[in-house]
Amino acid sequence: MSKYLDLSLIEINELLKSKKITPTDLVLECFEKIEKNKDLNCFITLDKEGALEKAKSLEDKEIKSLTYGIPIAIKDNIVTKNIKTTAASKMLENFIPIYDADVVKKINDADMIIIGKTNMDEFAMGSSTQTSFFGNTKNPWNKSLVPGGSSGGSAAAVSARLTPIALGSDTGGSIRQPSSFCGIVGLKPTYGRVSRYGLIAFASSLDQIGPMTRNVYENALVLNAICGKSSNDLTSYETNEDFTRLIGKDIEGMKIAIPKFYMSDAIDKEIKDKLNNIIDLLKSKNCTIDYVDIKYIDKAVPLYQIIAMGEASSNLARFDGIRYGYSYENPKDIRDLYFKTRRFGFGNEVKRRIMIGSYLLSGKNATTYYNKAMAIRDDMRNSFLKVYQDYDLIIGPTATTKAYPLGQDLDDAVKAFMDDILTIPVNMAGLPAMSLPIGFSTDHLPIGMQIIAAPFKEAKIYQLASFIEKELNLDLCPKLGGESNE
Amino acid sequence: MKDALTKEEVLHVAELARIEISEEELQMYQVKLKTLLNQIEEVTKINDHDSDYLIAPWQEDAILRSDTEGEMLNSKDVLMNAPRKSGNYIEVPVVITNE
Repeated sequence: MSKYLDLSLIEINELLKSKKITPTDLVLECFEKIEKNKDLNCFITLDKEGALEKAKSLEDKEIKSLTYGIPIAIKDNIVTKNIKTTAASKMLENFIPIYDADVVKKINDADMIIIGKTNMDEFAMGSSTQTSFFGNTKNPWNKSLVPGGSSGGSAAAVSARLTPIALGSDTGGSIRQPSSFCGIVGLKPTYGRVSRYGLIAFASSLDQIGPMTRNVYENALVLNAICGKSSNDLTSYETNEDFTRLIGKDIEGMKIAIPKFYMSDAIDKEIKDKLNNIIDLLKSKNCTIDYVDIKYIDKAVPLYQIIAMGEASSNLARFDGIRYGYSYENPKDIRDLYFKTRRFGFGNEVKRRIMIGSYLLSGKNATTYYNKAMAIRDDMRNSFLKVYQDYDLIIGPTATTKAYPLGQDLDDAVKAFMDDILTIPVNMAGLPAMSLPIGFSTDHLPIGMQIIAAPFKEAKIYQLASFIEKELNLDLCPKLGGESNE
Repeated sequence: MKDALTKEEVLHVAELARIEISEEELQMYQVKLKTLLNQIEEVTKINDHDSDYLIAPWQEDAILRSDTEGEMLNSKDVLMNAPRKSGNYIEVPVVITNE
């Protein structure tokens, strides 16, 4: 089997330019690897035919960018014209979109090749990819462990080097937490940086699409390709900049803040130790490191539960068995159709969240819970913004633990939220944040750190991340096929 | 704080959510929904916040879309995913009954 896909995008680009390889070679290698690692269950739908067709069509085209001819996997809650898009739910098991999401158009314009749709928690509700209707994804570092979630299929596919790039979505940590568990680089951009048009909505005021890659530079390249204003998403912004511009630039004297909450006893000691190593490294570059307080950060989980479940119940009201999606076979009337379609079409986690959300938004509860949570959220955001008056970046761990066993606490209604305790505050404030691998546990599982910037300051994140990545020079390729990682 | 919702409370919530639930599920939801609601209650105890409301996570001036004709979907495509259709229409079950 050829190994072009293990090379960097710059090296692949040189081979493509010198005609030593074609995009078709990359696609074939990609599908060979996917076939060999089928047991990871990273994909819900593959589109080999479409990918080969696109690869062929690129051969006559001028090579204008580093993303030319590169295979990419798309999370299955982002709609792709004529490619089944399920959001990992029985409700959309046979749904074929009739239009492309804005990001999908941009991926095509950047001459990337879509190879398939990745597994995820149903409607992105979960943090372990175990609520998927299509079965769980396995962690490439140890197949008895979860890959994290909800973008677990995307994270595992990139980690196992089945594809160099994937897109994920992040509502409360769904890009960053699986990136941490699988040892890859995942960025949740500023709310508004990337158009949400065509992203199957979970919580509209929190959702954001972002790149998941093997390294920092390639992550910035993908953000370059997918960002920008769209007339289809009026919360999106026109931002014309090159996100690679600060990569490799000196970080001497950078001012960095760590929320005290991010170093509490709830975080595994191994993870705190790794982060402390990074703090020492940054101090050796004369960076200022201070511990700060963020208002209400300790209440982020219940605030998120109100906002995310409230918005989810409203967004998922559209699944009624009438216009598209699963529909109960022999309803006796319209009410029976609604109630039975939703009973049999949604999984347990999703039903639980819709029920709580409907309750929280009903009658006077909307004021008691949702409006109040939005007000406190504004305070939290202002508290974050105040920190950025004095500091360049905020850092902390991505998750409180490393990847845990499949099946653990699967029935616990609160577990999925507690997994995201360190990532949720970022979505609440609409900030950009990255999960970056910073080492391994004693049992050789990846550990990630978070780098959080002020709104629209992603370039600063890439600057610090590229420095840490270069200093650590980690081997982030899991040994697959039953080989030991030790 | 009690540890479970009453059956009536769960049925009310399921009615709001338009989800039918079985007797077995009813018992499960009595406990699970209550666990979540107990955690959520913490928010109602916060009374020292300054802000009144957050409208958008990141806001500038209101942005309006230009008033121009855009791409239209054709009805054949739109009906493609409909579970029941008749000609150019989507079929729905009986809406008004004698019951």
